[in-house]
Amino acid sequence: MDSLLSLFIGQYVADLKRSLALFAPELVLATAFVLLVIVDLIFQKSKYITGVVALLGFAVATIFMIVSPANTSFGFWQMYVFDPFSNFFKYIFLISGFAVVLISFFSNELNKSDRTMGEYYTLILGMTLGMFVISSAGNLILIYLALETMSLSSYVLAGYTKEIKRASEASLKYVIYGALASGLMIYGISILYGLTGTLSLFQINAFLTQYQGPVFPLVVASLLVLVGFGYKISAVPFHFWTPDVYEGAPVAITAYLSVASKAAGFAVFMRFLKAGFIDPTNASEQVWTMVSSIDWKFIVAVLSVLSMTIGNFVALWQTNVKRMLAYSSIAHAGYMLMGVTVMTEGGYIAVMIYFFTYLLMNFGAFYVVQLIANEIGSEELEDYNGLGYRSPLLGTAMAIFLVSLTGLPPTAGFVGKLYIFQAVINSNMIWLAVVGVLNSVVSLAYYAKVFRNMWLRGVDSNSAPLKYSIYAQLLVYAFVIPTLYYGIFWTPLVFWAKSSVMMFIGK
Amino acid sequence: MFTIFGIGPLTFITFLPLLGMLILLAIPSGKDEKTKETSINLLRWVTVGITFIQLVVALLIYANFRTDLVGVNDPNSFQFVEKVKWISVKGLPLFGDLNIEYFVGIDGLSAPMVLLTALICFVATFSSWSIKKAHKGYFMMYLLLDLGMMGVFVALDFFLFYVFWELMLLPMYFLIGIWGGPRKEYAAIKFFIYTLFGSVFMLLVMIGLYFSVGSFNLLDMMNPANFKPGEIFTGFQTTWRLVAFVALFVGFAIKVPTVPFHTWLPDAHVEAPTPISVILAGILLKMGTYGMLRVAWPIFPEAVAYFNNYIAFIGMVSIIYGALCALGQHKVGKRDLKKLIAYSSVSHMGYVMLGISALNSNGLTGAIFQMFNHGTITAMLFMIVGVIYDRAHTRGLDEFGGLANKMPVYTGIMAIAFFAAIGLPGLSGFISEALVFLGAFATYPVLTVISALGVVLGAAYMLWALQRMFFGKLPERWSGPWDPTGKEYKHDDINGIELAALVPLAIVVIFLGVFPGAVVNLMTSSVNHLIEIVKIGGQFAGM
Amino acid sequence: MLITNIPLEFYLVLSAILFVIGAVGVLTRRNAIIIFMSIEIMLNSVNLTFVSFSIYFGDTLGQLFVFFVMAIAAAEAAIGLAIVLALYRLKQTVFVDEVNLLKW
Repeated sequence: MDSLLSLFIGQYVADLKRSLALFAPELVLATAFVLLVIVDLIFQKSKYITGVVALLGFAVATIFMIVSPANTSFGFWQMYVFDPFSNFFKYIFLISGFAVVLISFFSNELNKSDRTMGEYYTLILGMTLGMFVISSAGNLILIYLALETMSLSSYVLAGYTKEIKRASEASLKYVIYGALASGLMIYGISILYGLTGTLSLFQINAFLTQYQGPVFPLVVASLLVLVGFGYKISAVPFHFWTPDVYEGAPVAITAYLSVASKAAGFAVFMRFLKAGFIDPTNASEQVWTMVSSIDWKFIVAVLSVLSMTIGNFVALWQTNVKRMLAYSSIAHAGYMLMGVTVMTEGGYIAVMIYFFTYLLMNFGAFYVVQLIANEIGSEELEDYNGLGYRSPLLGTAMAIFLVSLTGLPPTAGFVGKLYIFQAVINSNMIWLAVVGVLNSVVSLAYYAKVFRNMWLRGVDSNSAPLKYSIYAQLLVYAFVIPTLYYGIFWTPLVFWAKSSVMMFIGK
Repeated sequence: MFTIFGIGPLTFITFLPLLGMLILLAIPSGKDEKTKETSINLLRWVTVGITFIQLVVALLIYANFRTDLVGVNDPNSFQFVEKVKWISVKGLPLFGDLNIEYFVGIDGLSAPMVLLTALICFVATFSSWSIKKAHKGYFMMYLLLDLGMMGVFVALDFFLFYVFWELMLLPMYFLIGIWGGPRKEYAAIKFFIYTLFGSVFMLLVMIGLYFSVGSFNLLDMMNPANFKPGEIFTGFQTTWRLVAFVALFVGFAIKVPTVPFHTWLPDAHVEAPTPISVILAGILLKMGTYGMLRVAWPIFPEAVAYFNNYIAFIGMVSIIYGALCALGQHKVGKRDLKKLIAYSSVSHMGYVMLGISALNSNGLTGAIFQMFNHGTITAMLFMIVGVIYDRAHTRGLDEFGGLANKMPVYTGIMAIAFFAAIGLPGLSGFISEALVFLGAFATYPVLTVISALGVVLGAAYMLWALQRMFFGKLPERWSGPWDPTGKEYKHDDINGIELAALVPLAIVVIFLGVFPGAVVNLMTSSVNHLIEIVKIGGQFAGM
Repeated sequence: MLITNIPLEFYLVLSAILFVIGAVGVLTRRNAIIIFMSIEIMLNSVNLTFVSFSIYFGDTLGQLFVFFVMAIAAAEAAIGLAIVLALYRLKQTVFVDEVNLLKW
């Protein structure tokens, strides 16, 4: 008995050691989080030092990500999963992390003289840590914890400019909707626990393969869990917070929420579906068989169509660019859900490719919105008149990002859409593809409004040109160039997504 | 095949505008009046230079073009072929091996179009002298548009074709939207959304074809043996194949535009600045019919057999409806010369559709030749409207009269264009229309006879316009010089730059009226081959 | 008397009722403070479900989860109240229907 216990402890310690080695990027982020609090205490005067430390934290985490051996295994006794799939999303979070910190440096609304920025960057790190964990979580406890880590940080970040009424209002709405969604989600988890007696996705999967009981509670529980994910990816009908929060929050945070937070939601949703509900013994590359009788394909397809259509059509009436981009991000969640609907490796690859392109163009678009707001102090569509002539760089960049968001070649957005439609057509869901392409035509109508106002109006106005520092301009190029480059040579992108789609499902 | 600096001629001619854009980008905009003027002139002449080199290369291609090679679906008989791997991904789950090639080449179908594109882009640069604001942006967009159009005509990979096809939308949107007339915003977005609506379905069909064939190569898609069993477009006259054909047809028909997809055209034409109208009518519309012949017809031949009657009918309706609308411009209250010409375009592109539906050598040759001729003639007509609009700032039909005395040279040029548009023998329009009618009569006698009415209507609205504007009495308000300050227009008649744009086209129109073989010979063997493909493909459908 | 003498269903129905009360409260109440109280009721009903399942399964996992839920509920309430406070300073109200700058 004694030897058995020591054997168990030995195994446990060995697993812990191995896992901690692989857990290094997350540890770095956690360390940087603590370090930032201290740095903020010491250098209270400086606005940028905490941001620089945050960047360093991201950089070190990236190095650990790169040097860590390619590994697909459990960590921490099946709580955690190390696999290429989570690594892909971790890189997405890191790139977005860099982007959001850099964007924040150039934000006038954030860098007011009477505001301390230490907590801001600290919370960004905390949010990123939550995203890292959620993309690797293999257990519902961990999923819930990571989701809340993300959410709690983002509630505060959304209202960080607390002297602005709409920011506080956005924050309040966010926290109420968020708490409701997470409440529904853990209620679902509790039912799932009651049905299966476990919280590990892999054991749930094993349980479901033999499950003979009633389907109804299982469907209810799964749908309730889906609310939590749907809320994170802002899919209709869980999207009500999105426009308000996106409009009210600082632009940098809006961009971060629209990309990284959504990516985290997708990562966990895709893993939840694949690890929990796909028959692992029968998961060929082409078709996945489901272990339960829940028609996930249908559910996700409905969410996808609703998100696309409602997102795009409501966006048509928006007069605030940030709010319009919020609805566009709902629509994009719908496009990406199309890839999930397919329920094959190919569909997941398409979603991952889409995410990378979406990261570039959406961050770019929000960054331009922020730079413009810095100078003209408005995000209203009407105030954009003639901006293309006042700042040709921003006008051109914005046009490129919006064209990319519409999905026209030769931009990265087209590549993303191409793969999504390929996946959908190949699985014979042609009606869905038709809905998707019609939606992209609709989306053109409102994206075009922005570059219409920027270029087609106010041609002859002689307003002063907008001046930006060389660094702010360089950052614009940093988004524009890859958006165009990956629209023409996207081979590396596809290779990356292809080698990352491998998800560890416990076998 | 010859090369230019080691670059294939088609790559060179397609991507030369990109080089031009970089040069334009480097030109500083100037500080004071004088340097600004220099800068603008520099922008203009660089663009002229770039498009002139393009024209020269196009003529070199023309000179080296072998008319005996058939092309269409035979990879070995395309000319000036360049084939490079562009995107190559192996063993992707679901998608398999993804191969997209940079594959360009021309045959008898595309050679006239390449020639036309180079010619029209060159002459339209001269009519761009009338552009008054944001010159740098204008010429850059102009060259980008040039690139997209040329690319469409040389691409042999469906993916490449699609990229060029979409690439052209954005510059066109801005060219109409920034430099256009009073309702430019409406016209620009209408054009954009209409064309995008058509092309997204093309995208879906392209993806479906890719899964059925395993490559994006257009020539592979034309061979029924390449279709893998069990895929969506495999088979013969299956529902999906017919649906795909209709989707492609609608996508291209919006561009042509045929009735009932034509409503964007009058708006776009009326609002667009002169050179853009010229390009729109001269080249863009041809992309629709070219796309049909290059993509839809050879890939889905049996669907052509299935739908051919409807296509002929659509052609007939376009001819008559376009002509009636143009005639309607003579009614009180409308009277816009530019709109008249826009509707005449709908009518003239109807001839092309009718000729295509004839499915015989005469009809198809006539159709492609009509594409070329309509490109040159309508380009002239729009420039002529531009000349008078720049001076009078109006183009109402009833606001002019007796211009023949005031502007004799202008009237002479105008007469060539008007009579060519009517189809007067000795000018190029006659030959192509005659060929279309000859061909179509053999297949659809009744429809052809009705369509011939379009020629009568055409003569009516053209001659009426001619009479109203150029003969009779000059109204009081135009009796003085166009520009009293004498800065812009030194004399009443057409000026040198405008002549530089119009005269080459007039020469081409007259020359092709006398020696149509110069263009017709390019296409004969390809046309016959295309007809063979469509006929063989459609045989089982009882043609 | 053992806890398990009462059938599991009783606990589940109770927690379901509590959960619905909480959810309805969140959706219908206008006062932000009461909304947060309703959220607490929801979370506690979840806790009840977890604990009862845990007892009946003889498995500690559910009880473990409850600790996390409680910790997070506290954090959520703290942040939520802080936000309400920030908003109260700007608008002198805690009623969510008076917070209406943002609308579609």
